[in-house]
Amino acid sequence: MAERNLTYDDLVQIVELIRTTSQFSEFRLKVGDIEVSLKRANGAACPAPMPQETPVREETPAALPREKKPVSFSENLHLVRSPMVGTFYRAPAPGQPPFVEVGQSVEPDSILCVIEVMKLMNSIEAGVRGTVRQVVVENAAAVEAGEVLVAIEPLS
Amino acid sequence: MRKAQEQKRFDFVDVTLRDAHQCLWGTRMTTAMMTPILSEIDRAGYSVINILGGAVFDVCVRYLHENPWDRIRLLCERLSTPCDALTRGQSLYTFELFPDDVVALNARLLARLGVKVFTVYDALNDNRNLESSVKAGREAGMKINGWMTYTLSPVHTDAYYVERTKELLALGSDYLCIKDPTGLLTPERGATLFPAVVAASGGVPVQLHSHCQSALAPKVYETAIRSGFAAGHTASEPLANGASLPATEEIGEIARRLGVEISLDDDVLKTIAGYFRWLCVREEKPCGRVAQYDPALYEHQIPGGMISNLHYQLETMKLGHRLPEILEEIARVRKDLGYPIVVSPFAQYLVTQATINVVQGERYKTIPDEIRKYARGYYGKVAAPMSPAFLDRLKLKPSELVTERPGEHIEPGLPRLRRELGPGASDGDLLLAAFYDKALLEPLERPKPEYRFRTSPLHELVAWLGARRDIEHARIRFAGTDMTFSA
Repeated sequence: MAERNLTYDDLVQIVELIRTTSQFSEFRLKVGDIEVSLKRANGAACPAPMPQETPVREETPAALPREKKPVSFSENLHLVRSPMVGTFYRAPAPGQPPFVEVGQSVEPDSILCVIEVMKLMNSIEAGVRGTVRQVVVENAAAVEAGEVLVAIEPLS
Repeated sequence: MRKAQEQKRFDFVDVTLRDAHQCLWGTRMTTAMMTPILSEIDRAGYSVINILGGAVFDVCVRYLHENPWDRIRLLCERLSTPCDALTRGQSLYTFELFPDDVVALNARLLARLGVKVFTVYDALNDNRNLESSVKAGREAGMKINGWMTYTLSPVHTDAYYVERTKELLALGSDYLCIKDPTGLLTPERGATLFPAVVAASGGVPVQLHSHCQSALAPKVYETAIRSGFAAGHTASEPLANGASLPATEEIGEIARRLGVEISLDDDVLKTIAGYFRWLCVREEKPCGRVAQYDPALYEHQIPGGMISNLHYQLETMKLGHRLPEILEEIARVRKDLGYPIVVSPFAQYLVTQATINVVQGERYKTIPDEIRKYARGYYGKVAAPMSPAFLDRLKLKPSELVTERPGEHIEPGLPRLRRELGPGASDGDLLLAAFYDKALLEPLERPKPEYRFRTSPLHELVAWLGARRDIEHARIRFAGTDMTFSA
């Protein structure tokens, strides 16, 4: 019989055996004409390093929930709330100026902010004509459904 | 068994380096994992090798920190089999629309890097979105492979796909392909759809690209071969099945049994499969597993991987228990929105709108901006009329409707990029700057690893042992070989 080469099936079996015996300081395997013997440095289980692989960086996790401070608003203010649990953005894109600033006049269809829900953007409109009195939430913060985002003093 | 009619041969397009790991490994196969097996893939008898798609390009940049142009150039240089690159029409590799000048430059650069087959598709099957890609790709000397995306709905009839076939032919496609991203095709549907498309193709070769989520794909490929399809897209066995495509080995056997000539080399395919099986073990990534037939898939049409992702997203919002309601709502939203195909990015639109509807307890009280754009026709033609329940809430103004080709409402992008990057910028740099923020591109400047272009099981064993810091002494003996390593 011609000399047999190591196959990928052999390799998979050998490596799986080595991995499952990492608590032992010595490893000897003889299958047919293949023999592998190993000595480990301290016998203690070491996490197997992955060859030539840089760690994969995953998507940044969703914004962490903040400590919510109870906020009170005077009764004459129109409170614009978040329709969904999501992430609050004050500007259309990073580096761009905010949609609105405190003191600015707005129309009912003026966009105040964006709530990102599951990667989609929801533009939030003012709903009334008036003046922005307070932007309650910080940019890129996580918000709950119904949480107040912006307070507007309606034009009477 | 009835022989395939007038069918003399069936060709194979390899997707192992692209769609297979996109489906099974989250697209995380690095160039260094591909290079050792390229010469075998080149000799296996594939007619075309698909090396690029939207997710591959994006993951290269965002997560693998590889310059995608370098990968394309290297694979095209190393492979003598024609290489295929896939783009999403006017969206190229992402989901936003790009101006015509950016789309054209991308096609020219791909051709210059060595791509021979340029595959284009649009997620709405609005083939106006392929016009500028096809024109530039053809001028640059590439063959054009025009895809149509399969889905199930009352409007996506055989006649609908015959219309798309005619459009793709009018664009000048050299090949046609039916793409079934969620494995929704059945042998029964294939038996009417496939002959209809072949009859309309006017002799242009038709290909099948179908995934295995419903486990019916091998039978669907058999129907395609019998219907006179010229080629099928398949993957090496360890990276086939499940959310991936069927195994080359399995479809090859089916073709042989039908008496159809194929050019696959079984011994080479075995070596390739051995390497990828080992790669799954080495990288601790899953091999493909044959899926179970699941009739629910035909209702919501959401791929399995996306359901687990959705469940995770819902858990983070403390809504995990509402998943069944949301899956049911997805089917309703899809109907209201005029049956968009459940692929990226529209799959995410449906999922998000359904979640919002369920959580708010009221349909379409909040409509995401992207869905509004979709309904305006901003991304292309909507397949069927949208429901009054949805349109009444949307309150579109006539001035918002887009009826022209989507690329026409986008300003050229290259003059601004050339000003910003200066005269020395390469075409590749200009395009990357068009697609990504600067911060994402900085890691691409890092030095590349040394690539190995051949390997063997013994070589892999030695490299693997050498990378383990806990081993201080190793001895390997087999046949006439005896090796000893000491730290």
